Amino acid sequence: MKPPARPPEIKLRDHVYDGIREFDQRLPNWWLNTLYGAIIFWIVYWFVHVIAGMVPGDGSQVDAAMRRIAAIKMANSIDVTDDAKFWAMSRNAVFTDSGRQTYDSLCVACHLPSLKGKGENPTAVGPNLIDNAWIYGGTPREVYHTVSQGVLAKGMPAWEPVLGQKKTAEVVAYILAHHTEGEPVTVEISK
Amino acid sequence: MSPSQKPRSSSRRSPSIDSVTTINADGSHRALHPADVHGRFTSWRRYSAYGLIGVYLLLPWIPIDGYPAVFLDVAGSRFHFFGFTLAAQDVWLLFFGVSGLGFALFFLTALFGRLWCGWACPQTVFLDHVYRRIERWIDGDAPSRRLLTAAPLSAGKISRRIAKHALYILASLLITHLFLAYFVSIPQLWSYVREAPREHWASFLFVFVAAGVLYFNFAWFREQLCIVICPYGRLQSALTDDHSLVIGYDATRGEPRGKIQQASSLPQAGDKTGDCVDCNRCVQVCPTGIDIRHGLQLECIGCAACIDACDEIMAKVKRPPGLVRYDSLAGLDGGVTRWLRARTVVYGILLLVGAAAATFAFSTVKPASFTVLRMSGAAYFVGADEVRNQFLVRLVNKRTAPVGLTVTAQGLPAGVRHTGFDAPVVVAPLAETVSPLVLLIDRRDYRGPFRFTVKVEGREGKIALKREVEFMGPDARLLEEDDHEKGIKR
Repeated sequence: MKPPARPPEIKLRDHVYDGIREFDQRLPNWWLNTLYGAIIFWIVYWFVHVIAGMVPGDGSQVDAAMRRIAAIKMANSIDVTDDAKFWAMSRNAVFTDSGRQTYDSLCVACHLPSLKGKGENPTAVGPNLIDNAWIYGGTPREVYHTVSQGVLAKGMPAWEPVLGQKKTAEVVAYILAHHTEGEPVTVEISK
Repeated sequence: MSPSQKPRSSSRRSPSIDSVTTINADGSHRALHPADVHGRFTSWRRYSAYGLIGVYLLLPWIPIDGYPAVFLDVAGSRFHFFGFTLAAQDVWLLFFGVSGLGFALFFLTALFGRLWCGWACPQTVFLDHVYRRIERWIDGDAPSRRLLTAAPLSAGKISRRIAKHALYILASLLITHLFLAYFVSIPQLWSYVREAPREHWASFLFVFVAAGVLYFNFAWFREQLCIVICPYGRLQSALTDDHSLVIGYDATRGEPRGKIQQASSLPQAGDKTGDCVDCNRCVQVCPTGIDIRHGLQLECIGCAACIDACDEIMAKVKRPPGLVRYDSLAGLDGGVTRWLRARTVVYGILLLVGAAAATFAFSTVKPASFTVLRMSGAAYFVGADEVRNQFLVRLVNKRTAPVGLTVTAQGLPAGVRHTGFDAPVVVAPLAETVSPLVLLIDRRDYRGPFRFTVKVEGREGKIALKREVEFMGPDARLLEEDDHEKGIKR
């Protein structure tokens, strides 16, 4: 097979290395244009981000997003110091029903399905939630505090990080549904 | 084949092995107009391409277990493949999927060269069997297309151009919409399509940018992708050898090429001319603009158009077909192709090892999974009567049907009881639950920390998972001393 004739427009460069010669051919225009385009993009990007600061940096964008999330959380949050509101929730089946679902999946392990805990079975882990004796305070806001922050020394976990504020408040409403507002409360001295 | 033989129009340059036919000396792109070709490979490629396009178009529509056959639900972190569902935590299996494809491609390339490029690559499938078909339908055959390109603007030319590019854009939009459906499912896609673009601006932008890229690629860029961009094409030379199947020209039989002598088309005894009649058909039909008679070149995508073109001519001049054929370089040189050689054996072993590892990896994917985590707070609690450990058990159902799971603690020493998980937990499809598991051991039975096993069972034994967990506690002797001081009887 004879080697095909080289078209005259194809040039070879002068240098030779180990008998290897180099063509001097033009790169495709589309290839050159992507290179020039990338250079222009770099200049525009550098100007917009570094020189003019027209686009906020990644850090401030993250901060702004975190502020938006915090604002939404605040807008949807419940006033957990409002005892009257907790009592009202505890009389509303929408809250107590979803509170019971959470209780039945998580709290029952220690406080038993009856909420009576040690009051029903002395070998149970958690204390009775139905009697009027409270260890860490019996007002709704104190109960909420106990459930949300936990009593780590006794083994009661902090549930708000797991459940979020809404579900925690629902569980408190479910517990309060077994109590009446203004009932006598005795606070045990914690051991 | 000297240029003086026949005057050529500027859009047809005889290919050379020293430069790319599709790039002019000034760097501009030379559009090719490959001639029509008929033959067995052309037909088979068309059927297989229609089959592949059909698979691509239909997969998102076929429901299997309530989900599309292939549904990469990125938003839900669930990946459905023909009823097999992978969760986000199974994404490591992708390694075996990708490396397996790589090994398979290595093996196939060593044996059959660029079979993938010519027959199965989406670039070739869509270009040859969708876009070039549209072009052929609107603009006519290769000479008509060349004439139309050279013709001055006229109402007829403008309307043809508008029709062709409108169809190109329509095809590109269809392909990209279907592509999006693989990630959001057809009903979701349909609701996106009917809603305002700003409702789903990211998807909208993706579809239209991708459609724009496809349109540019298939309307103008075409063979440049295979020649300059595709890494697989560039990797070929490292994967093939003289015994790999390629499309080649039998120079021994064909040379010296020459026009048929008038007297007889059959080669006579002592005839000096070879079988190649130098009709240039193989060059005219080539979609990447090469002359296959120059030997194996990186531009060749193995589409077999030149085989069909040459066979057709050989039949007409009553010479045997196969002057251009699927063969190895060794075979074209008159030798014998060796299929069994170090390269194919090594690639084959790599493929088998990869397949075995992938099979094992996929067999470890269970329809459910679970984790046992210690609850927040202290690692253990020492009460008046007992030592206590508290765990949260997270159950994950990876199937598309609800499942009842029984959780038990096994291998417990005497005196240990646990609460939670008295009844099976029902986990909704593709959902997860978190429930506490509390273990208590009587102080008098406590002999120090121990390990036990949490077992999760369901679906009549089809699901059986276990995990070893440590029960933590103080040194047993410290507890004994403490009891002694408090006067607790042991």
